Amino acid sequence: MDKILTIIGAPFLNMASGSGKFFLLFIESIVWLFRPPFRWKQLFKQIEFIGANSISVIILTGTFTGMVFAFQSYIGFHKFGADYMVGTVVGLGMARELGPVLSAIMVAARAGSAITAEIGTMKVTEQIDALHSLAVDPVQYLVTPRILAGLIVMPLLNSIAVFCGVVGGYFVGVKILDINKTLYLQYMYQYVDLSDLYNGMIKSIVFGLLLTLVGCYKGMNTEGGAEGVGKATTESVVLACVLILVFDYILTAFMF
Amino acid sequence: MIEDKNIIIELKDVYKSFGKHDVHKGINVKVPQGGITVILGPSGTGKSVLLKEMMGLLLPDKGEVFIEGVDITKASKVDLVNIRKKFGMLFQNAALFDSMTVYENVAFPLREHTKFKESKIKELVIEKLRLVGLNNVEYKLPSELSGGMRKRVGLARAIVLEPKIILYDEPTTGLDPIMRDVVDDLIYSTQKKLNITSVVISHDIDSAFKIADYMAMIYDGKTVLNETKDNFKNSDNPYVQQFINGSKDGPIKMF
Repeated sequence: MDKILTIIGAPFLNMASGSGKFFLLFIESIVWLFRPPFRWKQLFKQIEFIGANSISVIILTGTFTGMVFAFQSYIGFHKFGADYMVGTVVGLGMARELGPVLSAIMVAARAGSAITAEIGTMKVTEQIDALHSLAVDPVQYLVTPRILAGLIVMPLLNSIAVFCGVVGGYFVGVKILDINKTLYLQYMYQYVDLSDLYNGMIKSIVFGLLLTLVGCYKGMNTEGGAEGVGKATTESVVLACVLILVFDYILTAFMF
Repeated sequence: MIEDKNIIIELKDVYKSFGKHDVHKGINVKVPQGGITVILGPSGTGKSVLLKEMMGLLLPDKGEVFIEGVDITKASKVDLVNIRKKFGMLFQNAALFDSMTVYENVAFPLREHTKFKESKIKELVIEKLRLVGLNNVEYKLPSELSGGMRKRVGLARAIVLEPKIILYDEPTTGLDPIMRDVVDDLIYSTQKKLNITSVVISHDIDSAFKIADYMAMIYDGKTVLNETKDNFKNSDNPYVQQFINGSKDGPIKMF
C-alpha cells in the first residue's frame, strides 16, 4: 500500500516542489533587477544572442506563416466571393496569435535550449559552485541578464514576425492569387486595430519571460554529467513550448 | 588534541543527509590558523560536502560551522557572501569558466570585488600566474590547457583576492606521480608565501604526510581522529592505521 501511494504521490510532490523552485527563481531574478551591480555587458551579450542572432529565423518563420495563411484562408473566402478578407485574416492572425506564439516557440527552440545547455554545463562542471565560492550570485550573474534580455527582445522579434507575415500574405494574396489590391489593403486597415498589435506585444513579453526563465531554471537544476545536460535541454524546450501555449490561452481569455 | 587557541574553522557536531543517504553523522573538525590541515577519508565519505559546508555552499541539517568564531549556519545571505570573500577554493577539476580566457578567469574576482584599474588588474593577474608557475598562457582558453595547468589557473584565481583560507578539493586526484608532487609543492609553497590557512581534502596518504601540519580523518560520517601530523602518524587507532597502511583488512569495510 505504501509503495502504491509513493508511486502515485511522487510525481505530484516533484511537480509541487519544482513549480515552487521555479517561482522562487523568478522572484529572485526579479529582485536582482533592482539591485546593483547591473550586468550591462552580460545583458548586451544576451540581447545579441537571444535577439539579434534569431532575426533570420524569425523572418523566415513570419514570412512563410503569412504566405501559408493567405493561401489557406483564400480557399474558404473564395467560396463566398469575399477574397479581399484574406488581408484582414492574415493581419489579425499574425498580430494577435501567430506572430507572438510562433516567434516565441522558435526562440525557445533556438536560444532557450542553448541557455539550458550552457548553464547546465556550468552546473555539472562546478562552475556554478565556483561563482558561489567567488562570492558572486549565479542568479544575478547568469539568470537576471538573460531574463531581462528575453523581455526586451521578444516584442521586437514579434514585430518583425508580424511585419514579415503581413508582407508575405500580401505577396501571396495580391501577386499570386490576384486579389484586388485596393480592397485587400482597405479591409486590412479597417479591421486590424492597433489594440490587436498591443495584445500580441503583451503576449510576446510574457513569452520572452517564460522561455528564458524555463531555460535558466532547467540549467540551474541540471544533474548528472553530459547525459543530464542533454536531458535538461530537451525538457527545457518541451516545457517552454507547453507553457507558451498554455499562457497563450490564459492571456487570450483575459484580453479578449 | 588540537589546542583550542587560534582556531579559524570549527565544525561542531555536523549532520547532513541527502534523501535517505546520511553523509555526516556528527562531524567535529578544528582547523588551526596558519597551517595546512589535511582531511583524509576513503572515497565517497562526503569530504567534498564538508568543504562546501565550510564555505556555506551547503548548509548542514544540524550542527554548527564557525568561521573565525561566527556561526555561518545562522548567517544571513548577505553576511554569507562577505564570509565567502575570506575563502579561495580550488575545485577538483578546477571549475574554470570555460567561456573565458585564463586571464579573464583570474581577473574575474578582481573585477567583481575591487575597483582596481585595468593596469593594476593586469599586474596582479600576471603576478599570481607567475606564483603558480605559469607563463604566456594568459590568452588561452581553459580547453587548451592540460589538467595540471588548469589546476594552477584555478589556484591563481582562488588566491588572487588574497583570501585568508584556501580550500583544496582533492587536488592530486587523477594526476600522474610527478604532477602530483608538483601540485603538493605548489600547495606547500603557496601556504608559505602567503601565510594563510589551507584545508586540503584528500585520500592520498603520501601527499598528506608531505604537506600537512594537522590532519583529520573522516569515516562513516564521523570524525575518527583530528590531530597534529606527528600524533596522527603515531596513533594506534585501528581505522587510522588501516588507512595509512592501505590495507583492505581492518575496521574500515568498503563492501
